[in-house]
Amino acid sequence: MISFENIHLSFDGKNVIQNLSLKINNGEKVVISGKSGSGKSSLLSLPLGFVRPDRGQVFFDGIPVNEKTVWDIRKKIACIDQDVSLGDGTVQELLDFVSDLKANTHSVFNAKNLMEFFHLDIDLLQNSLKELSGGERQRMAIVIAILLNRDVFFLDEVTASLDKHLKNKVADYFLSKEDCTCVIVSHDPVWLDNSVVRVFDFEEKKWKH
Amino acid sequence: METLNIPVLSLAVAFILLIIPVVISIRYGLGMLKTLFVSIVRMSVQLALIGIFLKYLFRWNNPYVNTGWIAVMIMVAVFSAVRSSSIKISRIFLPVFTSFSVATLTVVFYLNTFVIPLDNVFDARYLIVLGGMLLGNSLRGNIVGISTFYKQLRTDSKHYLYVLSLGASRREALLPYLRESIQLALKPTLASMATMGIVTLPGMMTGVILGGASPEVAIKYQILIMIAIVVSTVTSVVLTILLTERVCIDKCGILRADVFTNEK
Repeated sequence: MISFENIHLSFDGKNVIQNLSLKINNGEKVVISGKSGSGKSSLLSLPLGFVRPDRGQVFFDGIPVNEKTVWDIRKKIACIDQDVSLGDGTVQELLDFVSDLKANTHSVFNAKNLMEFFHLDIDLLQNSLKELSGGERQRMAIVIAILLNRDVFFLDEVTASLDKHLKNKVADYFLSKEDCTCVIVSHDPVWLDNSVVRVFDFEEKKWKH
Repeated sequence: METLNIPVLSLAVAFILLIIPVVISIRYGLGMLKTLFVSIVRMSVQLALIGIFLKYLFRWNNPYVNTGWIAVMIMVAVFSAVRSSSIKISRIFLPVFTSFSVATLTVVFYLNTFVIPLDNVFDARYLIVLGGMLLGNSLRGNIVGISTFYKQLRTDSKHYLYVLSLGASRREALLPYLRESIQLALKPTLASMATMGIVTLPGMMTGVILGGASPEVAIKYQILIMIAIVVSTVTSVVLTILLTERVCIDKCGILRADVFTNEK
């Protein structure tokens, strides 16, 4: 469970989030909707400790997010950002780097099946990350996030650069994972029109349905 | 073999050579006349003063004065190293000072104790001259190392955060940047070492030979100083990054915006 309690957040004196409270239960699929630039992505940065609220507290499974706990909390969340930066080197080198991190040694890093599932050519493994197209990079980030084998997914505009068929495929994949909690930032009807999701209106600060 | 002294008037003749860069600067519109002039004057005045100063330093040869002067040299090196980075000096003066002191003094005292047969390890001729040589090189390495480390972290912040989100520990997330900074900082030293004697006759050796020593002695000193430079440069670069990282990155692993000046 992730809960945000009376969060106030500002950057350079500009209020980004004002008095927001939100609870997301385990296994829920939640879409955060609102205008772009309204601070929805900052909301996802809070449980990861990438930004600190001016006031209020974020809890992850009942544990307050702070400088001591955040390192373990990060190991429980798989995050995909719309313009994720995968770094230098080849795709295979990135996979090796991720699987060599101490936090991930328990996961089995067999990317091939998932790559095929998301229509990525296996030969891409030898390609440089910089050569990947926007859509390929996005899907590769999705594959890596799934390989991490975590129960919570933060998906920030992950279907933005995909075609209709792939959008459906990605949305179906995550929304059908019953045990997983998904927090999704998106304008895309592929998420919003699905009956399993609850939609939270970020500007009104209330649930739409 | 005696070193020939150069009369002051003859030294003035050397300055005539500077007509060449002046003509080049005017001919190609380099706009460097002022910089050239200021640099030449500074170099001459600074060296003249240090010449007089060293004369007395060597004459007194007092351990406390020698150590005090080394501390001043380290302090100046720290200011130059930090000024070229984008970090506020007040935040990282102490860590960088510690790093430079540890790296330079350990190596110099090791040499003065175990390698050069000295009666007094605080001997100004060795402590200050060797120390200065090591500091100059550490400084060059640190300017590259420290700026690379923080510049990369800042321009690459999206990727750095991605790596943290993958579950990386602080060490795991920072290691690639540390590695790159050390490699870049050491590159010039390693490259010049590899061609030494063939392409370059290094300053230390030229100095010792002109000073009247035989090439055999000069070479021994040069080998010694090159080993010392590599050791003290790599030690100071690593220490500087490890010690400043504690100040510039918070406990959540995020770069602190308030330690940076926003110029670069």
